[in-house]
Amino acid sequence: MTAVLEDAVALGRRAGVALSDDELRRIAERLGRVPTVTELFAFDAQWSEHCSYKSSREHLKKLPTEGPDVLLGVGEDAGIVRLGEWNGETYGIVVAHESHNHPSQVVPFEGAATGIGGIVRDVLCMGAEVIGVADALRFGRLENEHCRYVAQSVVDGIAAYGNAIGVPNVGGDVFVDESFDDNVLVNVVALGLVKAKDVIHSRAPRGSVGWDIVLVGKATDRSGFGGASFSSLTLDEDDADQNKGAVQVPDPFLKNVIMRATYAVFAQLRASNVQAGFKDLGAGGLAGCSAELCAAGGVGAEVELERVPTAQRDLPPEVVAIGETQERLCWIVPPSFTPLLLELYNDVYSLPRVARGACAAVIGKVTETGRYVARHRGETVMDVPLDFLTGGVRYHRAYELPRVAQEGGADRERALALAERSAPATLGERLRAVLAHRDVCSRASIYRRYDGVVRGCTSIPPGYADAGVLVPIPGAPLAVAVGIGGNPRYGTIDPRGAAELAVAEAIGHVAAVGARAIGLTDCLNFGDPTVAEHMGAFVAAVDGLAGAARHFGVPFVSGNVSLYNRSSSGRHVAPSPIVAAIGRIADVAASATMAFKRAGSPIVITAPVQTAFGGSVVGELLGLASATLPDVRVHAFARQCELVARCLERGAIGAAHLVTDGGVLAAIAKMAFAAEPGLGFAIDPAPMAERAGGELGWFAETPAFVVEVFDVEAFARLGAELRVDSYDAGVTIPEPYAVLGDERVPLEELREAWEAPLRDFYGAVRA
Amino acid sequence: MSARVAVLVFPGTNSEDETVRALQAAGLDAALVHWSEPEALARFDAYVLPGGFAYEDRIRAGAVAAHDALMDPVIEAAEAGKFVLGICNGAQMLAEAGLVPGTGPLRRPTAAFAPNASGRFHSVHVHVRLAVEPARVPILGGIAAGTVLPAWASHGDGRLAAPAGELERMARDGHVAFVYADREGRRVPSPSGSALDAAALVNRGGNVLAIMPHPERDAWTFQHLDRTRDRASMLAPSGGATFFRHFARALAGRAA
Repeated sequence: MTAVLEDAVALGRRAGVALSDDELRRIAERLGRVPTVTELFAFDAQWSEHCSYKSSREHLKKLPTEGPDVLLGVGEDAGIVRLGEWNGETYGIVVAHESHNHPSQVVPFEGAATGIGGIVRDVLCMGAEVIGVADALRFGRLENEHCRYVAQSVVDGIAAYGNAIGVPNVGGDVFVDESFDDNVLVNVVALGLVKAKDVIHSRAPRGSVGWDIVLVGKATDRSGFGGASFSSLTLDEDDADQNKGAVQVPDPFLKNVIMRATYAVFAQLRASNVQAGFKDLGAGGLAGCSAELCAAGGVGAEVELERVPTAQRDLPPEVVAIGETQERLCWIVPPSFTPLLLELYNDVYSLPRVARGACAAVIGKVTETGRYVARHRGETVMDVPLDFLTGGVRYHRAYELPRVAQEGGADRERALALAERSAPATLGERLRAVLAHRDVCSRASIYRRYDGVVRGCTSIPPGYADAGVLVPIPGAPLAVAVGIGGNPRYGTIDPRGAAELAVAEAIGHVAAVGARAIGLTDCLNFGDPTVAEHMGAFVAAVDGLAGAARHFGVPFVSGNVSLYNRSSSGRHVAPSPIVAAIGRIADVAASATMAFKRAGSPIVITAPVQTAFGGSVVGELLGLASATLPDVRVHAFARQCELVARCLERGAIGAAHLVTDGGVLAAIAKMAFAAEPGLGFAIDPAPMAERAGGELGWFAETPAFVVEVFDVEAFARLGAELRVDSYDAGVTIPEPYAVLGDERVPLEELREAWEAPLRDFYGAVRA
Repeated sequence: MSARVAVLVFPGTNSEDETVRALQAAGLDAALVHWSEPEALARFDAYVLPGGFAYEDRIRAGAVAAHDALMDPVIEAAEAGKFVLGICNGAQMLAEAGLVPGTGPLRRPTAAFAPNASGRFHSVHVHVRLAVEPARVPILGGIAAGTVLPAWASHGDGRLAAPAGELERMARDGHVAFVYADREGRRVPSPSGSALDAAALVNRGGNVLAIMPHPERDAWTFQHLDRTRDRASMLAPSGGATFFRHFARALAGRAA
């Protein structure tokens, strides 16, 4: 047996798989022989970090995942939260979150496009209509030529794919940080709409032994071979060309048709009351997908690889079985339904006419054996126990929690001292500098490249508010909002605090449009888990997410972990827990954009400003090496969120905007920029200077909202009920100026400072 | 009985459902006709070509679809004076089919919607203003002179391009049905760099209209972004719905 084990190790090393020697021995021991090449690659994919969460799983257990609004929790391709009832039906919002970081670094256009493609399939395969996507992007410094190329191409890829498939892009965020120079982060969220009774599960249904396994989509080719294990590796410059082969090739045109054909299949399944299993092919390809479907159903599978439609002749069996060719999905259906399924894809929606070789084909059968058997030209190339293949491995990685300095009040003193020593600046000059900061400036030249309104269900498209808002059921007032949070400047200082703030930010963003958060989804982007420091940052962030989500009472319903975001030069990404919140608005009439609506409205801040400048924009501009992040104060912040939602319902406020990067004054300026026709604002700097120790308080990134008050009395009453302390900041004015005490700055000047940086980078898109 | 309108779906079309909803809200009997069922096309009173990227916009936007057999009955209907409306990708198809401005032979376009001056897709909220006499657009029955509509310009190829002589002729003969405008109706440069600031073209007979921005994407109050977002009527048709109402009125006039 020892010889077999060592032969397996030798084979694995020769084949260049990412499995460790121990893992290879374990496989050979269980199989009682050296694995075949196809088996080797199947285990390589299934046991990768990407598929098995082998380093992260023990920690992810800490996240709260249950709640009254959870229709389907973590465990399948996507989670589902309850949107509400309409015409006697319960509707759910399907939520999936993925990273496509490694592919986007190597081949940014295709990497980002297939990121959208993959997440859309994760939602589709739950039986849902795909209603929107959102993306969180983290780019390296745009002064760096390669980073510029990546940043341009990622946006191009997202635009090209999302626009063509006709799914609106309704939100996202962008940060630029040195730590992403060698590892871009491309995180994508997709949302779907499904009736609770129509959910299709990612598993072989009960009693499905003997049913057909049907592969749908693009003809299998060599693209994307080894993608799962590639994304679990450290990127090495020398391997760049080799890695490119591991990236999939997008075909949004084919996907557009596959989606529509699949909607027709859903309708037929419902009409004939047929159960089915459905799952998208992602990491691990056909073998991974069909194995997970069958493992989840407690059955087995027999697959004939030569029945898989291929784009090239003589593809080796391991490529057919494991390759990650895009735009493919896998059904398990009763043989009585198979002819209709094939007719819909192949004739009615004529996939073979849409893309060469694309089709639906029966490639295998469900068995009762609990084994995954694949044959190729009469030869058995895989015969493994399913639970062993898909069960993966677990590791307890050593970790060292980050030490975070507790500085408290010293921060404020140092900030004030620095501000005094720095070049004398008026409030207006500081505001202009903050608005032009890379993490504050306008993203219009990015989001205007995305179609945010296709499907005709968009109520608030990107750029008009903190969160995108969709009215997904035609005729129903129910609306869903999606907001994103996660700040790499915070992550670098304190992963745990950054995670808490990411949860608060995402929830705050949906509150600002009048929504109550009902579900969270996370994408955790970290460095090498075998390095105690990076693993410690991950563990601290999960603790932060878990704690904050518990206190808010909002569960996680899906998520993703992306590790090994480090380059061979040793640079690793800023610990980046990125969170999206799904919010429900019972009546879209209670939603609002962030634009100031009227002149003469009081402008109010819903919490006292904290003078913690760690990770803040103004702190960076002043060169303040601070380590104190704003304190989330979850319970108080949750009450602020509720106040905003209630006030919007009752018309007591006209607009709300969460204070984030750039602080209070930047938030006020952005609400004025959004006003049509232009409105200005006037503030009295003195009270803030007294309360927050100097005018820097205007740039503090305290978790709070800036609101435009319509009904002062109602606002005060609701605020008292919810014990929210609000502070007057100023008033909206009809003239397009920022009046800052004695200083009067034309709004156009500030707007130009805010719009110029990314406009000049991405090119102007005139509105 | 309300008029029957076919909304054509080509491989790559992506705006079919919202287009059907906007037509239905205007009281029309609108139905999707899929590319695999061309024989179904004969039974309709009017045809709408919705937005998307039909046939991946290979060669030029709308070009392959314009030569698809599915377009044959549409072209026939247009020649017979039936109403044909193209929105975005549908507008590009009508130009490629030679139906707008309709001054040359069929499928030999004299004008086209070319890539935006920026070279990139954009999605921006705009207003468009009726730029011809209402009598010039019988397809929008009863529309008032100077009507301003909100819409979304969401396209990569929205720049009207034609030889200088053809542009002159289009301007002179009233083929530029809508121009980009501000909310008060003052003409503004188009985001795409379109010649004549054109947002829509109409044929000589006024029965074929090709409009680049999407009125169906700002056709319900909940879709508005400005002060007209009236809370009491969030789910009611408004704004761009006017466009479809006049299209329906034109069809009702035909039927009567």
